[in-house]
Amino acid sequence: MLTHNVVAPSSLCPIVSFDFQGQQVYDKLLFAHNLNYGLDRGGRRKHKSLRLRAGFWESIKSGLLKDDTTQVIETSPEPQVEEPLPEEFVLIEKTQPDGATEQIIFSSGGDVDVYDLQALCDKVGWPRRPLSKLAAALKNSYMVATLHSIRKSPEPEGGDQKKLIGMARATSDHAFNATIWDVLVDPSYQGQGLGKTLVENIIRALLQRDIGNITLFADSQVVEFYRNLGFEPDPEGIKGMFWYPKF
Amino acid sequence: MEVAVVGGSTRQILGVYPGKCMELRWVSRNIRSKAKGDKEKRVSVKNKKEKVPIYVSTNPSHINSEELRDLYSACNHSCHRFPKYLGCDTDVVEAVDIHKLRTALSHSSLVVSVFCKPTDVLLFTTKSSSEINTTSNENIQIQIQGLGLGLKDLFQQLMPVTPFNAQLVGFGRAVSDFGLTASIYDVMVIPSLRGMGIGRMILKRIVRMLASRDIYDIAAVCSEKERMFFKACGFGDDILGSTTMMYSRKVSTYDEGDQLVIRAGRKLLLAPALKETSASLKVKNS
Repeated sequence: MLTHNVVAPSSLCPIVSFDFQGQQVYDKLLFAHNLNYGLDRGGRRKHKSLRLRAGFWESIKSGLLKDDTTQVIETSPEPQVEEPLPEEFVLIEKTQPDGATEQIIFSSGGDVDVYDLQALCDKVGWPRRPLSKLAAALKNSYMVATLHSIRKSPEPEGGDQKKLIGMARATSDHAFNATIWDVLVDPSYQGQGLGKTLVENIIRALLQRDIGNITLFADSQVVEFYRNLGFEPDPEGIKGMFWYPKF
Repeated sequence: MEVAVVGGSTRQILGVYPGKCMELRWVSRNIRSKAKGDKEKRVSVKNKKEKVPIYVSTNPSHINSEELRDLYSACNHSCHRFPKYLGCDTDVVEAVDIHKLRTALSHSSLVVSVFCKPTDVLLFTTKSSSEINTTSNENIQIQIQGLGLGLKDLFQQLMPVTPFNAQLVGFGRAVSDFGLTASIYDVMVIPSLRGMGIGRMILKRIVRMLASRDIYDIAAVCSEKERMFFKACGFGDDILGSTTMMYSRKVSTYDEGDQLVIRAGRKLLLAPALKETSASLKVKNS
């Protein structure tokens, strides 16, 4: 499961054996890829073009505009929004028998590694989609909500392990309509209400922005799940139709 | 709140679809006698196809938001799935909010607008209403064609139809993530020019542009009335058998106060309650 990430980009392996020795640092490399830029770029030079971190430019822009946020809200003609949803918060914190702590963190910043996402899709059994398409879809989605599990090891010199365990995304026209696509949670973390949290947070964010038409297309086995969240199938005769390509 | 809002801006669209985005097309309609029975043979004069030039544009800057709002009203189309009606026994929907419309337009990945010369629109409006009402259609047809014989009208007929001198008669938009999926919204044509293939043309254009970007997962959420139109244009139920679901949790008397409630058309939607953070979860049972 963990090795999956390492085997896929073959260019990473030489670096592991050349530069590092020991199990500890192996873990560090694997899960610190979001923090350790230098190693990353060197190892995945081939895949640099595909390694789009969704929301990268947005995070820079939001960082620059952070001071002006309140002013913008006051002067805009749009309806007042409620208290802004925190971008990232800890959902659950558990302490394991060996002393390690595990935190599950919800984030709506859209910071998703496409490789992690591909691996997660494989775990839940979804068909594979091209990475470039996945990356473009994430970049252009209105909101990408993610769940990461951060496992802090009990030893003082042990590194943190950060793992993507859930994701949901929504596309929208920012005014009236939104559609939720791709809701998935790691099978080993299912049944804890994590999927529910993901979807509820997206709904809340959309409603705060006054986006009233929230739609989704549910497979037969998850219709009940969404019904419990407040979704209604085919309300008042409204149906979704799909284009059939004629080849 | 810093939501990752990227893409879909008009500048990006124009860059993404280079080349021709404005085209001149002709649509036609057989003139039928609706007053009489359907099976009756059409007289040769009425069998002539009336060709009308229309201008199809995918350039968002050709759209005037006020004109678009008027088109929405003329088609009695609402942006809300469950629109609020203006009266209790009427099915006229309330007008669309112009600020939200502008926002929606600027964030739609694709817009297709169809323009037609005002004189032609007028011609068809009178034609369609006269067809239904009279029995002696021949006289009426010749009379209407006589309208175009004045010099001023002749000059106007010679002028090419452009978005700047023409009336907006059709519209369609789509929202996409430019990777995997797209959703089509608000396809409409004014009532007097329906049945001429304009709606189909709009839809075909949207699908063609999306397919050129390699997006084949195109969804359109439609009401009962629109379903036949989409079906005729090649849309169908999902091959994977998914169910379309919409959020419709309403306010109930059992809910505590201090909830987020927003109005969407005639429905009042209740947002899910804020989840407790992990600190409080440790203490309480969820």
